[in-house]
Amino acid sequence: MHIPDGFLDAKTALATGVLAVAGLGLALRRVRQSFPPQRIPLLGLAAAFIFAAQLLNFPVAGGTSGHLLGGALAAVLLGPAAAVVAMSAVLVLQCLLFSDGGVTALGANLFNMAVVAPVVAWAVFRPLERIAGRGGAVALAAWLSTVIAALVCAGELAWSGRVAWHLVLPAMGGVHALIGLGEALITTLILGAIAAARPELLEATAPAHRRDLIGLGLLVALGLVVLVAPFACPWPDGLERVAARLGFEQHTAQLLKAPLADYAVPGLPWEKLGTVISGVIGTLAVFVAAWAVVRMIGKKAHNV
Amino acid sequence: MKAVELLDLTYRYPDGSAALGGISFSLDAGERVALIGPNGAGKSTLLLHLNGLLPERPAVPSAVTICGEPVVQENFFRVRKNVGLLFQDPDDQLFCPTVFEDVAFGPRQFGLAGAALAAKVGAALAQVGLAGYENRPPHHLSRGEKRRVCLAGVLICEPAVLALDEPTTDLDPRGRRELKSLLRQLPAAQLIATHDLELVVENCTRAILLDRGRIIADGPPSALLADETLMLAHGLERPHILSHAHPHRSQGGS
Amino acid sequence: MQPDLIDRYARLDSPVHALAAGPKLCAALALVLLVALWPGAPWRLLGAVAALLAALAALSRMPPRFLLRRLLIAAPFALGVAALALLQPDGLRIFLLLLAKSTLCLAAMILLTATTPFTDLLEALRRARVPPVFVTTLALLYRYLFVLRDEAGRMRRARWSRSFSATRAHRWRVLATVAGQLFIRSTGRAERIYAAMSARGWEVK
Repeated sequence: MHIPDGFLDAKTALATGVLAVAGLGLALRRVRQSFPPQRIPLLGLAAAFIFAAQLLNFPVAGGTSGHLLGGALAAVLLGPAAAVVAMSAVLVLQCLLFSDGGVTALGANLFNMAVVAPVVAWAVFRPLERIAGRGGAVALAAWLSTVIAALVCAGELAWSGRVAWHLVLPAMGGVHALIGLGEALITTLILGAIAAARPELLEATAPAHRRDLIGLGLLVALGLVVLVAPFACPWPDGLERVAARLGFEQHTAQLLKAPLADYAVPGLPWEKLGTVISGVIGTLAVFVAAWAVVRMIGKKAHNV
Repeated sequence: MKAVELLDLTYRYPDGSAALGGISFSLDAGERVALIGPNGAGKSTLLLHLNGLLPERPAVPSAVTICGEPVVQENFFRVRKNVGLLFQDPDDQLFCPTVFEDVAFGPRQFGLAGAALAAKVGAALAQVGLAGYENRPPHHLSRGEKRRVCLAGVLICEPAVLALDEPTTDLDPRGRRELKSLLRQLPAAQLIATHDLELVVENCTRAILLDRGRIIADGPPSALLADETLMLAHGLERPHILSHAHPHRSQGGS
Repeated sequence: MQPDLIDRYARLDSPVHALAAGPKLCAALALVLLVALWPGAPWRLLGAVAALLAALAALSRMPPRFLLRRLLIAAPFALGVAALALLQPDGLRIFLLLLAKSTLCLAAMILLTATTPFTDLLEALRRARVPPVFVTTLALLYRYLFVLRDEAGRMRRARWSRSFSATRAHRWRVLATVAGQLFIRSTGRAERIYAAMSARGWEVK
């Protein structure tokens, strides 16, 4: 899933770069606030562990083999903020030392594999752990994080105008729905091995940092809306509908159109930009609402 | 002034089990003392107390005094400069991506930089016989070379006390010989935790036998190590080196 | 891929090696940005960049086979996605353009990384004000990558020497155990490294 140079255009490279820097910056700040100093070296060692684990090839079928991606594993072992930092280090090293993944695509690769994957995995894993048990929760988290990261990757390729969405979506989505199965199995097995030998490590390394998820979760939602939603016209788009009902869509589209109409550059899809921005605002609204609900439920549970 | 003074040092592991009980002894400046005993006797744990890495919460008053200063939080900076700690696994201690960075790590923390730092690193590397190794990445070094880089990183701070944890483990005979002769030339007081009884006989003027966190015996190596009953009772053995006449020993012994 | 191969030639003596890491990094980035983001199909520009890179490669005294091998390692994903472009109208042109651009950028980055010790790049990042915690994490990752890979290899051999079944399920379990042990050992090592750092006066800033 490492996008090489030349596959993204300037606007996509820039947008994903901003998203990635924001994600890494948020994660670093959380780590500085919540990580005790004696665990700082663990970030580097965990990154080296993910890297080394990625080099272990698992036999798939007919002589082919797959390997771990590690986003979900890192999230469960380290918590979301530290996982974002460790995965980012892995990707930066792969880019600068192994030329694996392009420089102009570094932002996109960081965002997909170091921000979206671990954050999605954590968001799925934590609530599900209590219901489905650790094994089931981590399996689903690993599969979903792989597939969603691949979808964002497809969105970036399509947005760059290199490959059409209707081609790249089934290709990336289909392949990674399969790869995700392997990822789910490997991650579950590795976590099981750690739990069997040293269960206290899992308790110690993944404290519940609900606050970690607010900023990072928002950022991922934003990325999904900007990068994937504009193409997803055939989907029953809940967010857009919410935005429309709240009256954001027309409003923002007009807001944008008004000052920009005279300067409209032929070929630049302002309409689409309007959709994106209304989507962004819709996301924010939904997120804030969801957060408030969770907060209220949490408080009630606490009081009872 | 004593280089190291321990007064009734006691430590329990976080799980509550006893690690060290009532340890008291002292080292004179420049004295070389071996710390021997079976695995799990508490040797490494004791060494970690010398510069405040243990206990997790510094005890007040401290049971450990280095060059007249108690090992308490306010003194950590000076104490860590005064005590050079050589860890068992050189891969743990050599955590920087180049030899230069690693040897320079200590002095950098103490505020040295620029040409003065580079000169000091060069001198420290020359001292351990690795002149010109500055730009090597550690993963291209042999085990013996790694250990010598670690030693350079410790010596560069000019510690008055060296705490060495198994310094000769997994070195080949030549590497071991070179390390032993290097250690004999150093002016610092040395506390050496080791199973290498040849090292004890050749380098140390005194040996302390530790078992289950307590001092069993304290005396000249020739007497201590020759006591076969004592050695066998504590998981050690009488070294062969003592059964032959050895010209080296009379110089090394007190 | 053998990580040792990566910086095997990073310390040769040549004009390309002798350039300072910071400017070299900037030049490579500028070149990559130019090639990757130039809109349309600037074939002439691509040709000129290709000639420039070939000249630099010759000047750097790197074995051409080494460079070619590293170019090929990264090819599968690029080829896969570019092949999708073939299915669209004007597909062949887009396909060739994508391959040409990605190959040239890759060549530029390989030339940069293969002629510059990674530690110099780290220093450049530090000077560019990348947060210290992140640079430290990168430095530790680079340092322990090789240690952990060798550790995994040794554990894997030790496991295999005692296994007598070769079913796929068994192999997955063995690999998962190796990876799990690797993580457990990494946490222990991280604690010992922290002790070694503190022993030499390190404090988190």
